[in-house]
Amino acid sequence: MNEQELRDLITDLARPVGPSGTEPQMQAALLDRVRDVADEVFVDVLGNGVAVKRGDGPHVLLAAHADELGVMVIHIEDNGFLRLISVGDVDPHCLPGRIVRFTNGTVGVVGAEAQVKREELGFEHLYVDIGAESGVEARERAFVGLEGVVDEPVREVAPHRLAGRALDNRAGCAIAIAAFRSAAAAGRRVSLVFTAQQELGARGARTAAYRLRPDLALVIDAAPCGDTPGAERMELKLGAGPAVKIVDATAVVPARVKDHLLDAGKRLGLAIQYEVWPRGRSDAGALQAAAGGVAVGGISYPARYMGTPAVMIDLRDVAACARLAAEAVTSYPG
Amino acid sequence: MLLKRLTEAMGPPGFEDDIREVIRAEAKPFADRCDTDVLGNLICEKGAGNPGVRVMVDAHMDEVGLMIVHVEDNGLLRFRALGGIDPRVLVSKPVRIGRDGRPGVIGAKPVHLQSQEERGKPLKMEQLYIDIGARDKDDALAVVQPGDVAVFATECETIGDGCVKAKSLDDRIGCAVLLEILKRTYRLPLFAVFTVQEEIGLRGAGPAAHRIRPDVAISVEGTVCFDVVDAPGHGQATVLGRGPAFTVQDGRTLADRRFLEFLIAVAEKYNIPYQLRRVKGGSNNFAAIQRTREGVAGGAISVPVRYIHAPAQIASLDDYEHTIRLLDAVLREIEAGAWTG
Repeated sequence: MNEQELRDLITDLARPVGPSGTEPQMQAALLDRVRDVADEVFVDVLGNGVAVKRGDGPHVLLAAHADELGVMVIHIEDNGFLRLISVGDVDPHCLPGRIVRFTNGTVGVVGAEAQVKREELGFEHLYVDIGAESGVEARERAFVGLEGVVDEPVREVAPHRLAGRALDNRAGCAIAIAAFRSAAAAGRRVSLVFTAQQELGARGARTAAYRLRPDLALVIDAAPCGDTPGAERMELKLGAGPAVKIVDATAVVPARVKDHLLDAGKRLGLAIQYEVWPRGRSDAGALQAAAGGVAVGGISYPARYMGTPAVMIDLRDVAACARLAAEAVTSYPG
Repeated sequence: MLLKRLTEAMGPPGFEDDIREVIRAEAKPFADRCDTDVLGNLICEKGAGNPGVRVMVDAHMDEVGLMIVHVEDNGLLRFRALGGIDPRVLVSKPVRIGRDGRPGVIGAKPVHLQSQEERGKPLKMEQLYIDIGARDKDDALAVVQPGDVAVFATECETIGDGCVKAKSLDDRIGCAVLLEILKRTYRLPLFAVFTVQEEIGLRGAGPAAHRIRPDVAISVEGTVCFDVVDAPGHGQATVLGRGPAFTVQDGRTLADRRFLEFLIAVAEKYNIPYQLRRVKGGSNNFAAIQRTREGVAGGAISVPVRYIHAPAQIASLDDYEHTIRLLDAVLREIEAGAWTG
């Protein structure tokens, strides 16, 4: 897929609202992109969306998490306001004044109790105002357990650059789709999983890997840039190419896999960055420790403002990631 | 009373021998077989060879407790918590140590001798000790060793308007529900598991589920309840007497949405009251079970317990009865094919 095709794909994939736990409802939109080339597609108990292509060579699994950060209604007050808890590691300071869109289409504004000091702001001080004039009306449009996200559509902020909601990790889903299609066309044995509940600690990846037992699992995910004013120190730059995962908080990538990815990048003549992210949470560790143990590696696209409602990515990075992933899958010696 | 026999038995995490024998004696007449696995989980099978959906129901038999870690020269015992215990609930509480139930009291400096500053601060666990009336270190070591465990010495009794007061209602009330269910017969393969070491990180349930390979798993758990003074609606978690509680999200699980909807539909069909747990903190064994092998469908049914993890806990007998009715109805519906996996 070229950059233009990837941009359109990412924009489409970012539309469905999919906070962790609601994956079963959005997997169809993802799996539709590979159904025509897969031998089998299904959604498992945890909500992972899986596509399998039989073929030659070692079995490589591409893993991209489908879920995004969000909020959940935990209480409905008699005056019609909704109380929230987070879904994943959401900073409560991101929310006041923002529009929340729930999975059932209800929208509202997040408010914060005024007497709370800014530094002490927690989810227990936030509420959503859906314009309901009573608890009865609110209960018709919302329920305890209803999930939502901050409504921030994807925009093209500059040529090659997108910003908006859910780019982490629908961009990774698009990369995995492109690589899966290439590998399938090349006749390779390849699987793809859009993992569930990654944002909550890689809960889906583990059961998916247990079922699929791949010879290699490649995680496709976002990794944070350190190239913005006053940023935390991080070597990655936006637009400087795919990042090969070296280490994150969940896994150390085996040297053999890392070298395979770097060699693949060299063959394609791509600029490659190294992802050394000691605090990063990804599916890698869960995949590596699944069943009897799985060789794991990762290809990440640099992203700014991770964890906020508006993540920025560069489409040139994404296109290069897709080429790198396809080459890595089709050339893996096993 | 079953709840009395269960709650007064000893069983801190890793030391579930006494409670397991109490439960085994209760379960044995009704189960086809009761086996203890390598971790100490008690697995009671009923109709394991039946066709149909393999159902695992579980309740943890361990309770929060204390472990003796050091004996002072003067015979006082230092301890650490097994499971989450707020040190502020410990001062002056009577405890029972070891399998022979040796009595002791958790001691601290009396208020008369405390400085102004000391009075203003809660005591930390390291400042507390258990006094067993020993003369000195040798006298204490003759009857207690480091590594021995202690539990609260609370007598179980029914109180007030249909309530029960006891230690370890978390989760002996779940164990009682499972034992009542075992007395009934269902046309499906049923595995009732009394798990170990839930309070120190859900350690027993995962291996049990790995062994059983259930199609559906339901954890029955005592859960936090703070429907009392000064608690806003979104800070109560659950309300006593309003029925068994279902989870939408807790510290370790997002609800399996299809199973949650199934639970709600069954409760409504059978006209059994239920509530949704309105708090993110806490967790239960389903978190561990859900992630075994290829993943397991299911959820948790929780009984509200006030003062959970404290020496004296309170639950509603109505909630208890409704939880038994609900779990029975869920199993009947699964038996009838209403859960389509």
